[in-house]
Amino acid sequence: MTTEARALVPDATTGPLLELRGITKNYGPNRVLDNVDMSVGKGEVVGLLGDNGAGKSTLVGIMSGVVPMTSGRYLWQGEELTRITRPETEKRGMETIFQDSALVPTMTITRNIFMGREITNAFGLMRMKQMDTITNEILDSVVSIEGIQSARQLVGSLSGGQAQAVAIARAVHFKRSLLILDEPTSALAVRATEALLNYLIQLKAEGVSSVLVTHNLHQAVKVCDRHIVLNHGRKILDVRREQTDVEELTAAVVEGAEGVRRYREGRPLA
Amino acid sequence: MTEQPSPNRSGETSTGTSGAVLEMDERTARRRLSDNQPTTALGKMRRNLFYMRGRGAVEITVVYALILLLFLALFLHNSDPATGFPFWTRRNFSGTLTQTIPFYALLAIGAGILMIAGEFDLSLGASLGFAGVVFIKTLNAGYAWPLAVLAAVASSVGIALVNGVIVVATQIPSFIATLGMSFFWNGAALYVNGLSPAIIAEPNSTMTNIMAGDHGWFRSQLIWMIVIGFVAWWFLHRTKWGNHIYATGGNAAAAKAVSIKPNSVRLLSFAILGLMVGLAAALLVARTTTMQPATTDARTLFAIAAAVVGGCSLTGGRGTLFGMIIGAALIGTVENGFILGRLPGFYLQLFLGVTIVIAATINKVMEGRAT
Repeated sequence: MTTEARALVPDATTGPLLELRGITKNYGPNRVLDNVDMSVGKGEVVGLLGDNGAGKSTLVGIMSGVVPMTSGRYLWQGEELTRITRPETEKRGMETIFQDSALVPTMTITRNIFMGREITNAFGLMRMKQMDTITNEILDSVVSIEGIQSARQLVGSLSGGQAQAVAIARAVHFKRSLLILDEPTSALAVRATEALLNYLIQLKAEGVSSVLVTHNLHQAVKVCDRHIVLNHGRKILDVRREQTDVEELTAAVVEGAEGVRRYREGRPLA
Repeated sequence: MTEQPSPNRSGETSTGTSGAVLEMDERTARRRLSDNQPTTALGKMRRNLFYMRGRGAVEITVVYALILLLFLALFLHNSDPATGFPFWTRRNFSGTLTQTIPFYALLAIGAGILMIAGEFDLSLGASLGFAGVVFIKTLNAGYAWPLAVLAAVASSVGIALVNGVIVVATQIPSFIATLGMSFFWNGAALYVNGLSPAIIAEPNSTMTNIMAGDHGWFRSQLIWMIVIGFVAWWFLHRTKWGNHIYATGGNAAAAKAVSIKPNSVRLLSFAILGLMVGLAAALLVARTTTMQPATTDARTLFAIAAAVVGGCSLTGGRGTLFGMIIGAALIGTVENGFILGRLPGFYLQLFLGVTIVIAATINKVMEGRAT
């Protein structure tokens, strides 16, 4: 079985939540994404893997609507979107958690969590007390909050991991249907990483899909149902978890399609 | 995983604000934030003070209080109007302090809110002159004074919005764009008015009373400052639009990711600056009855200095309304103290410069310690 043939294995789930077809993106003369297909099923955790410069971040940008694509089709629950903007994707319940830019460091945790979705009365006045109370509950129940003293703390005074936890807590609280996590564990301590990965699995049970962009293949193998490997803007591998292992993914990320072929010749799959 | 009796875990007891419960940290008893809130008035006050630290208002209030104490000491030492330091007198409060401080404060509020959104308007002074001329021209054309105030505000909001559109559309740093526009608006004021100062032909006593009336120890401007200051505080700190201003200035990309439109927020902030400049122009002209166009440029830097002294960050996202007012009060009071002390004008500049730098340094240091 070749790589190309396996990429065509149909999804087991009933109709994907998000489907991208033939996504191409040029930055001037540079083609950073070349005819990439990808889909995310309902309640599926998809690992988006690849080396630096493989096009992961661009693909994430296109998915979340902040980067316009050069050509390709974008389908949300089978319906094609023509104008893909951030408000459009947000309306459909997509939340992107970037490495560091998801929060405003000069604002309090409460204000960050409710940013853009403030609880207000009819006059636009914020219900600060209610927002503080909900924030405390979120932080207590959702993610590890060790070291967070109060919902009134500035996000800038948190560690990278705590800030990441707040960003994830926000996404979870607003019941998003698709979380895109861009290198979420890069700033996390071991325990917090563990907690986050466990949490993705739990969310899956509730029907929340996620796309996990990561360098760390061991983490990807642990939680992802499917792995997509990009290499120089092209998709070279799209496999379900039971059909691959860390070694194959490593070969794909490091050496590209050539590496996968070599790996499979060395140890053909049953 | 060991089963630990923990009826207080909010995942089980709360009414589902958060979805699933994370099964971790079962071994260590976690300190819950919900149970950790102060309940006594003193505890709440201490917490509030703690979380106000480094956000721009507390430190500068302490500095301002020290300056007031110093001036009070000088006054008690010798309060003679001719040889001493007549600071705490009715004449000084009504005649100087409660006139200049509100004027500076309105400008500082405008400049400060715009700075929180991450932008500057260096044409503030020019816009002030233009709005003053519009105010006088409207009055002299025979319209009622509230209409003249509206006209002044409309002109300065219009100017600020033009500046804002230029900044937003061209992506030029607002520093440069509004520096250029300040020459333009100065020229425009001269074009409309001519070189000679504009003068209110027949000052309306009702207007003068409402805008600049003498009430013993203070002038009407002080009431305007308190009213406008409260409305602006409410807007900036308690409405969602205020929250969006902080978000845009603090991290525009993050704001965009939650569907806040940073450019609309920037335009809104420019409009607020225009509103404040128009009101300040009306208050100023109602008292002085004249306006010489193209002489108000120095106010730009006073307003920005007051905002910076009051804790607004030059990079956006940081600052409080209370801080802006205290910053304006500090500059107004120091200026007043130097005049009362009969020191030559260049000392004022010298000391004012030092004060601004020291205050900004204190803010910077405390910013880093903010929690």
